[in-house]
Amino acid sequence: MLHYAVVRNVEPSLILVVVVWYAMRSDISRATLFGLVAGIGEDLIAFDSGGAWTFATAITALLASLPTRRFFEDSMPFFMIVVGCATLVRDLVFWSIKKAEGYPAGLGTLHLHQAIFQGALNAVLAAVVMFVARRFDRRRAMAWRR
Amino acid sequence: MYQDERKLFTLIGIIIAAATLLLLQVNAARTGKLGPLVWAGSTVVAFVEELTSAVVGGVRDAGGTVLSVPQLGRENATLRDENGRLEAENARLVEALAASASQAAIAPVAAEYPNGVEARIIGFPPENESRTVTIDRGSRAGIKPDEGVVAASGVVGRIAEVGPFSSTVLLITDYTSRIPAIVERGRWWGIAQGNLTSVRMQYVSQDARLRIGDVVVTGNGRSFSSGIPIGTVVEIDRSDAALYQTAVLRPAVALGALDRVVVVAK
Repeated sequence: MLHYAVVRNVEPSLILVVVVWYAMRSDISRATLFGLVAGIGEDLIAFDSGGAWTFATAITALLASLPTRRFFEDSMPFFMIVVGCATLVRDLVFWSIKKAEGYPAGLGTLHLHQAIFQGALNAVLAAVVMFVARRFDRRRAMAWRR
Repeated sequence: MYQDERKLFTLIGIIIAAATLLLLQVNAARTGKLGPLVWAGSTVVAFVEELTSAVVGGVRDAGGTVLSVPQLGRENATLRDENGRLEAENARLVEALAASASQAAIAPVAAEYPNGVEARIIGFPPENESRTVTIDRGSRAGIKPDEGVVAASGVVGRIAEVGPFSSTVLLITDYTSRIPAIVERGRWWGIAQGNLTSVRMQYVSQDARLRIGDVVVTGNGRSFSSGIPIGTVVEIDRSDAALYQTAVLRPAVALGALDRVVVVAK
């Protein structure tokens, strides 16, 4: 979605940030369903992914919803860390499925470097998203007080 | 008595002052200069006139401004509308100019392949995980899988998926892209495989004397006829212990700035 924000052939993923955002605020079943729907949408747009995004995003959403039972989901640093880790996990699952589908092997190191860089970009994007969301929450709270 | 003396001295003083002024006036008149009385008078009068003129002018201008406010408001609204219309027109013309430039660039290619289908790039992969683009032509325009896609300066890729109204083009920089390639200078064969941002020409014979700057073109294959530029050699990986040598190519087409392409049937 952010094709024009590509940095060194790596594109930040707004979809993943939104999925993790929702997963951290809901229970496991809803988070997994949301990740499933988001992954299906990506697979419909993508070429030759063969359902890999569906599985990868659903699993990532499931895992992202687990820590929220013990940690604060409104913490920006925590959200950024979860998004960064979710990027790595999702790419790991995605490329594993792609390799099983016949994608050329031997590119693990390259994909790992890309995933790390994308994790950093997604963490920055997560901070921006959270910052904007907090502004809207503050305005809504002030409007409600009036 | 005292008052009478005061009056007398006052009268004498006035007479002396008047006589002095008269003498000065006469003297000034004789020498052609401005007399002190005239000078003082004209100075005071000029000052008063200037002050009066400024006040009257200010009042007149203010009044005129107040009276013209409704008209100014109408003119402002008209100018705003005109400005908005001109801005929109400018944007349209800029877009048309850009489009005409890209159309002009693709026109020679379209002329070279009269049976080719001209298409525009309309989409990209959601996570940039594959080197593909989506074009706005599909099976209804006569496009079939594995047909070649070219731009003004060379090969873009091949059709990987075809829908009724759109198609997916696998770029030459994708890892799964493989095209028969020939070095134009020495006619050495190889396979051009995508490498994310560049293209690697692999399985080139060790006898080939590759040079930086060699132009690599397509060989006769499933998607392309021979002779379409793929890229230029920028790096050569040659080892005496290996069976083949490899060349890294810079693609002839700027794949990051694609706009219009032509789908050619082999």
